[in-house]
Amino acid sequence: MNIIEIENLSHRFADGTIGVENIDLKVRQGSFVVIAGPNGSGKTTLLRHLNGLLLATSGSVKIAGLPIEKNLLQVRQLVGMMFQDADSQIVGETVCEDIAFGPENLRMERSEVAKRVHNALGAVGLDHLADQRPHLLSGGEKRRLAIAGILAMEPKVIVFDEPFSSLDYPGVKQILSSMSTLHRSGHTIVATTHDLEKIIAHADRLIFMNNGKIVLDGSPEKIMTDAETYGVRQPYASRLGHKVRSWLS
Amino acid sequence: MAELTFFSFYPGSSLVHQLDARFKIFFVIVLSFICLNTSFQGLAALSTLITAFIFSIRLPLTHVIKELRYFLLLIVLVFVARTLSSDGAPDVNFRIFTISVNGLRSGLLICWRLAFIVFCGLAFISTTRSSQIKGAVQWYLKPIPFIPEKKIGTMMSLIMRFVPVILDQAKETLEAQKARGIENRKNPFYRLVKLGIPLIRRTFEQADDLVLALEARCYSDSRTNPPLRSHKRDWLSLLAIMVMCIALYVFKFI
Repeated sequence: MNIIEIENLSHRFADGTIGVENIDLKVRQGSFVVIAGPNGSGKTTLLRHLNGLLLATSGSVKIAGLPIEKNLLQVRQLVGMMFQDADSQIVGETVCEDIAFGPENLRMERSEVAKRVHNALGAVGLDHLADQRPHLLSGGEKRRLAIAGILAMEPKVIVFDEPFSSLDYPGVKQILSSMSTLHRSGHTIVATTHDLEKIIAHADRLIFMNNGKIVLDGSPEKIMTDAETYGVRQPYASRLGHKVRSWLS
Repeated sequence: MAELTFFSFYPGSSLVHQLDARFKIFFVIVLSFICLNTSFQGLAALSTLITAFIFSIRLPLTHVIKELRYFLLLIVLVFVARTLSSDGAPDVNFRIFTISVNGLRSGLLICWRLAFIVFCGLAFISTTRSSQIKGAVQWYLKPIPFIPEKKIGTMMSLIMRFVPVILDQAKETLEAQKARGIENRKNPFYRLVKLGIPLIRRTFEQADDLVLALEARCYSDSRTNPPLRSHKRDWLSLLAIMVMCIALYVFKFI
């Protein structure tokens, strides 16, 4: 079953700039898709159409068969989004409060909110920081908190916009581990990056974007070697003709 | 990593932490009004109470005082201005300045009152989660017609969440400018403009990002309200505060 169905999507900004153009994309439920491309290639613009933060100038986007324009609230429950800058995504004054923000918006009972907060804290390993103030967390912990905030809404698709930017090595491994766990538990993962090295070993599909268009789409093993044609660095192991290994192994 | 600011909630399990936010807001208002009308003896009694509370919260006091250094400077300025501008027979003459005991008393009283109110606010903010403050503010505003209490509550909690972030950004911007020799420019207006413009721009950019993040997490005015429940300890605290106010009145400290 296709959880994401995009047909002929184009988005033009108010100043006339084209964000994305003629995008056709179907993503199977449970897959792990990496969208790669240089800065300004339209990756973030495409992602923002998946939960209705941007609406199509032309074309259509459906999530689990639901057209997003008419089902914004449902779609935002189904598609959780982790932003590039975790600081701007965190709104609670403590870790617990931030995780509770989504379920509270969905008007859940207080007991259900508490249950979801507890589960989400456990899923990302932040139990010991439940009462910590978010701005005192490390970069990796802030991203894990952002993931917990998404998980508390129990989405089916989780979208990561440049999940590793400004993270140190342990931070990258923590986020990668969370992404891998979420994928194994049945979530559909869509992540954008301009650095394939860290993530590609976990992906089952790779898409290259350039100038707002999808220019190549296929399995990572087959198309990774073309990365540099589209402004993305080819992973080192792949350059040497080896299999790219996970950073978690 | 960001530093602690005294505008933040500080987790703990003291009595003040456990009190209902609605009662705490009421206490802050009552104590602030009383301190504005009380004498030195009354202020001493109120200050003993608030000092005991602040110690029980276990705040890192040296850090708090460091954070309050500009406020303390303001207090000193108020003290000097009040001392020099009060009426009364001069007791000390120094060039154009005349100082009276009356002026000193008046300056000390005003500064003490100001400090007391700030420390009351500190005890409240550092022991109350923003969601509880939001809930309590909504509860107080609900009976007032034409006031969008939910919007006001959310705005308040977001301001409290983002004050530390904005302060961090200001510090970062200032450090970046120091690294490029801004300290060689002696004009404070120039330095203020060079700090203010990028800081405001970044704050607005972050506000835009925040709107997207709120939308992505299904934000609306209609949300699950924070739990507000009064307990025996809240009513006992109310009784204690009322008894104290009456005692201050009976002993003519008000």
